Amino acid sequence: MISTNPYVPQPAKLVEVIDETPTIKTFVVAPSQPIAFKAGQFVQLTLPGVGEAPFTPSSSPSEADRIAITVLKTGEVTTRLHEACRVGMSLGVRGPFGKSYPLEKLAGKEVLVVGGGVGLAPLRALILALLDDLKPIRRLSIKYGARCREELLYTDQYEQWAAHEKVDLAVTIDNPQEGWTGHTGVVTTLLKGLDVDKANCFAFACGPSVMLRFTTLALMEEDLEPEQIYLSMNRRMSCGMGLCGRCNIGKYYLCKDGPDMNYALIQDAPNVFS
Amino acid sequence: MTTYWFPKAKLAQFIGERGGRSIYLPIGPEALGRLRPEKAGAAVEALAGARTGQSPKSLFFPTAESVGHYGPAAGAATAVEAPPVTLVGLRACELRALAYLDQVLLEGDFQDPTYAARRDALTVVSVDCADCRETCFCTLVGGAPYAAEGYDVNLTPIEGGFVADVATEKGRAWVEGLAEASAEQLAARDALREAMTERVRAQNAEFSPVAAESPPDLPNDDAEAWQAYAADCVECAACTNGCPTCHCFYLYDQAVGPEDFERVRTWDSCLLGSYHRMAGTGANVKPTPRPRLRSRLANRVLHKFSYSPQQYGLLGCVGCGRCIEGCLGAIDIRKAVQELSQ
Repeated sequence: MISTNPYVPQPAKLVEVIDETPTIKTFVVAPSQPIAFKAGQFVQLTLPGVGEAPFTPSSSPSEADRIAITVLKTGEVTTRLHEACRVGMSLGVRGPFGKSYPLEKLAGKEVLVVGGGVGLAPLRALILALLDDLKPIRRLSIKYGARCREELLYTDQYEQWAAHEKVDLAVTIDNPQEGWTGHTGVVTTLLKGLDVDKANCFAFACGPSVMLRFTTLALMEEDLEPEQIYLSMNRRMSCGMGLCGRCNIGKYYLCKDGPDMNYALIQDAPNVFS
Repeated sequence: MTTYWFPKAKLAQFIGERGGRSIYLPIGPEALGRLRPEKAGAAVEALAGARTGQSPKSLFFPTAESVGHYGPAAGAATAVEAPPVTLVGLRACELRALAYLDQVLLEGDFQDPTYAARRDALTVVSVDCADCRETCFCTLVGGAPYAAEGYDVNLTPIEGGFVADVATEKGRAWVEGLAEASAEQLAARDALREAMTERVRAQNAEFSPVAAESPPDLPNDDAEAWQAYAADCVECAACTNGCPTCHCFYLYDQAVGPEDFERVRTWDSCLLGSYHRMAGTGANVKPTPRPRLRSRLANRVLHKFSYSPQQYGLLGCVGCGRCIEGCLGAIDIRKAVQELSQ
């Protein structure tokens, strides 16, 4: 049964739980009716009787009947999701809401994806959507960082992503760690002396606010214009539909005009990165 | 449009006969309430008073309301049902607020179904202001103390009764059998409207009018300038609760049975510290884009005077003055807008 009441979630069976890191799990749900979302759009995931929280799916938009949602245990609903969810349970989901990544703008461009921690989750939907058909774009460059090795997401998929000739991937962890031979330093250290075609590039970033702030600064230092930078913004949301009034940055509601915002639109707003 | 004459006694009788359950009228100076038929006479007298202290918002946008059930035992979704309700005595400012809420809750990509149902069931009988409060300032925000649109029936209180305009089929029942208003009665109506407009203008002479087409250029919500107003704010949310256009809400879920869950929509207030707070790893310190009270107060004013004009082409303020009247810190939104406009 699909509800015409936009407040009411449709049932979604939990078909798989993947332990990604000590604090991050991916919940794969099968909604009773497929949810045709575009990469970057978000859904509200309900734990019955507890509440809901907004998440951008981390799975490919081509799979509308099996949606992966990668969740960091950080607040009331996410903590309960982590603790209570077992395969077979019925959750709720409503959506999709918000705007998608502007895939139509990417033809002939280089695409730079910058993720921090759990921020790689929504970006994976973008990566998978691009991998579905790499022909239109010139290049996909992925820069990803996490605090430590154990907190890196989707490590088993890097090889597969980077196997495409148009794709390159650089991964870093904040500090040296035993057994880690890769790059160390925060993700912005991967942006120094950026080797992309700066005039023909779009950057998409998602991560904690402080990471978004320094990623934006780093990208502008590398001569990207605000118009070339898309940021996945964080604000408290409730309805997801532009009615409840709380997720605004200036005149924009992130639930309607975001959650990914072109930096040029919000650069003059205060508290963008807090 | 034919205009009718509703003698005072006849209106009281008409309202009394319609029963109390579905008619709300000003019951004293503070609020609209369900009418007790034997009090119809006093209620009709009150129509010539100033607007009520409380806004009528809760009658079509309740403070807390179930917006739906889900879960295996929740049953099939049914259409939202709202009983027919007639609101008598809404003022022009409140009609503009209703139009604003319609824009937000009905005209976007998503409709609020319970609001839509209640709105649909509403008959609006508005009244021109024959008196006003000291805080009324509709004329500063493009309004007037009499209604031009948005009603089913509009009444103008003059000596001995009311001049009645009917704008919709719904309102037709109110004027059946009434005589047309005379030229003198129409002249008295025009005189009242002119006098009241002048009175509201005069009590706001120190302020400049603002319009949605050219919204005031206010400092952003991080600006120090807001502190002069925030210093007096005690975060009681009287301004947002009293405001006829404030519609911020929060959804919460509760279990009403083992497999039946309910989602409830409650009023919220952007002034409250918890309003913008997000999930975070700290136990007590949650990230918020507006940790300072001055930013939250600014956000409310900016929403009404800067964001709404850009989002909806409408000011979010209708000049009813309830936020001024209700404020424990005596913060005057007119002054804030006037003094901070650049």
